[in-house]
Amino acid sequence: MTSNCGQIWTSVSEVIRQRISADGFERWFQGVTVASDDGTKLVLGVPNPIHQFFIESNYLPLVQDAVAEIMGSPRKVQFCAVGSEDTTPVMASHLPSQPSSRATIRERAQVPVSSGMNPRNTFDTFVVGSNNQFAHSAALAIAKTPAKTYNPFFVYGGSGLGKTHLLQAIGHYVIQNQKSAKVVYLSSEQFTNEFIDAIQHGSLVKFRKKYRSADVLMIDDIQFLAGKERSQEEFFHTFNALHDGHKQIVLSSDRPASEIEKLEHRLVSRFEWGMTAELQPPDVETRIAILKKKAESLSIALEPWVIEFLADRIRNNVRRLEGALMRVASYKSLSDREITRDAIENLLRDIFQEQARRAVTIEQIQRKVAEQYDVRLADMTSKRRPANIAFPRQIAMYLSRELTKSSLSDIGDAFGGKDHGTVIHACKLVKRRLEEDEQTRHIVRLLDTQLQR
Amino acid sequence: MKFAVTKEALLDGLQRIQNVVSTRSTLPVLTNALLETTETGVRLTTTDLEVAIRCEITAQVEKAGATTLPARRLASIVRELPASEITIETDAKNISTLRCGSSYFKIFGLAKDEFPAFPSFKEAKTYTIKQSELKDGLRKTSYAISVDETRYVLNGILFSFKENKLTLVATDGRRLALFDSDLEFPRSHERDFIVPTKAITELQRLLSDDGELQISVAENLVSFELNGSQLVSKLVEGNYPNYRQVIPGEAKERVTIEREALLNCVRRVSLLSSDKTSSVRINFTKNNLDITANTPEVGEARESLAVVYRGRDISIAFNPEFLLDPLRNLANDEIHIELIDEMSPGVIKINTPFLYVIMPMRVSV
Repeated sequence: MTSNCGQIWTSVSEVIRQRISADGFERWFQGVTVASDDGTKLVLGVPNPIHQFFIESNYLPLVQDAVAEIMGSPRKVQFCAVGSEDTTPVMASHLPSQPSSRATIRERAQVPVSSGMNPRNTFDTFVVGSNNQFAHSAALAIAKTPAKTYNPFFVYGGSGLGKTHLLQAIGHYVIQNQKSAKVVYLSSEQFTNEFIDAIQHGSLVKFRKKYRSADVLMIDDIQFLAGKERSQEEFFHTFNALHDGHKQIVLSSDRPASEIEKLEHRLVSRFEWGMTAELQPPDVETRIAILKKKAESLSIALEPWVIEFLADRIRNNVRRLEGALMRVASYKSLSDREITRDAIENLLRDIFQEQARRAVTIEQIQRKVAEQYDVRLADMTSKRRPANIAFPRQIAMYLSRELTKSSLSDIGDAFGGKDHGTVIHACKLVKRRLEEDEQTRHIVRLLDTQLQR
Repeated sequence: MKFAVTKEALLDGLQRIQNVVSTRSTLPVLTNALLETTETGVRLTTTDLEVAIRCEITAQVEKAGATTLPARRLASIVRELPASEITIETDAKNISTLRCGSSYFKIFGLAKDEFPAFPSFKEAKTYTIKQSELKDGLRKTSYAISVDETRYVLNGILFSFKENKLTLVATDGRRLALFDSDLEFPRSHERDFIVPTKAITELQRLLSDDGELQISVAENLVSFELNGSQLVSKLVEGNYPNYRQVIPGEAKERVTIEREALLNCVRRVSLLSSDKTSSVRINFTKNNLDITANTPEVGEARESLAVVYRGRDISIAFNPEFLLDPLRNLANDEIHIELIDEMSPGVIKINTPFLYVIMPMRVSV
């Protein structure tokens, strides 16, 4: 203990003495010393744990005020028992410490690995392409200045496109650059579970404190809140508390907020409040870059044609892409044989088959669209042009253009001998409608997913 | 295993032990009760690995043996049975059949071997105490146990056997309840230990007004034997903080108040104390006690009580719940309140060795 600490306590205790009864001061503050002060937290040495319990329960605001007054800035006040034979550890801070909170990282927890975040998911390992460039820059901006730029940040995209990676990258970046920041990362399922637990054990206050004291709250797969009304309500209040307190909120989902069913409107509108970014499936160049980066990080040497082959054949899911790479690499290292195209085909046939099943035909599209809009299949190829037939037909043409490799004139032929200009017009029209009309966007997306299943 | 038992005896036994079983347990066998035949009847045991409890009921044993059955389910079945005579028979696969009048139940159990062994005691110190005395002491102190799990040494009651006295202490950092009782025991038996909350709750359920009980304490276990039941619990590890520090010095003002009248007044007034900074203010003036509460934009309440008081005027604020707890759990007609000043803790006493310290709310500062 330095003399500086002694001086601090003399002045602080003088302030406290004036504000409480002589007996109270004598009883609780006599014998208290300042054990350490590092600028953010002040540790008080108490003769016995009972001092800690009673000062915490009864005089903590007073002590904090006095400390802030004397030292010019507020400190966290903690306690440790000194000079007593009592060996009970009493290092608990005045904040309720949660030994089981895997999802929180505190300054004191030196190893941020225990946060439930994968240490490999950082910005450095994130491969940026045209499909995710926007989301990536937004995330980076947020990580640099949490709560200043985009709040909340809502990122959505299909499975295996890097939502979790992006979220955790923000978390790692913030922890690295602001040691004192409290970053909470968890899935919405975890949130619900802890909430239920808190209700059962009547520890809602503790639960709220945990989330509402976060500087950055990141919730993964928020779509699982759908239909859970009480959790939504609790989250709504948590959201407001954090947003009002200028704390960063980051959310991820597999679909846009407006399309999550059974999600309250007030939540939807809040999710759309800040920045919304979509992650799309990577294009072929990005896929190659991802594979190269992954291969490099795992120190796998693969011929360029293998990487290109994999990138060409697996399109929609980065996780699957990486899985395929691992499989090929382990096959190579275990079997000692030269990799051939056939060997890969054989090795990854289940993945390829699944991809192949997605190859849709124009006829399937026509049938699906006709079914959706409740028109006859024959109308798809007819020359009749009332709006209720023409528009579905145009959507079907658009989908054929997007989902098959057929040429414009092939598509025209399949729709009853239409001219390629008609197809171009249909595609343009549908695209414009997609931008303008929510309803159309919803239906087309629905058809799209159903066809690709 | 096969035995016959009366519905009353079995239900009584199950009700004594069933509260210990954990509802959400990682070990399925812990939701079960162990049934073992003895020479004179059947012994029922449950445990959650922290607290274990067993009791013996009289039964006619036809074939010795043991099995485990879901405790709560068994209790609900027995409660609903139509007749008095119950026969339970268990086969080698731990499937038990329960017959009673026209009812027939088949219940799947688990093997006895999976059930944790009942803790054994070595080198224990034993004390004998009247049940009514301990029951009274626990009732007067247990409400003050801390529920804050970060202060785990306070999550129980301190049993302090010192100088031919048993002292029970519970505190949560805002109030403290202390109960003393004279007791004869050898000097070598002086010891302090902390009994966790769950064991206290179960013990209170078992205690009756007559007879004695035996308390045995070993290194890290305590056992309570009473009325043919035995409750064994782990002790809370660590040392209880120096509670004497909390008890204020000499009081300046002392006033005697009717317990029930004060209880009712505080209860009514507390309806208008706000949830957040819940407090009621107690104002002593000459021969009068005013209890007030107010919440901005909600309203205010005031109760007056005639008392014999000639001291100086004092106005002090307390959390109403902390004030109500001892008032509810004491049985005396009159209590004594001792005060020093507005900022110092208040003390509630009765004519027998009991003390309750309550810290004032610092509402005005």
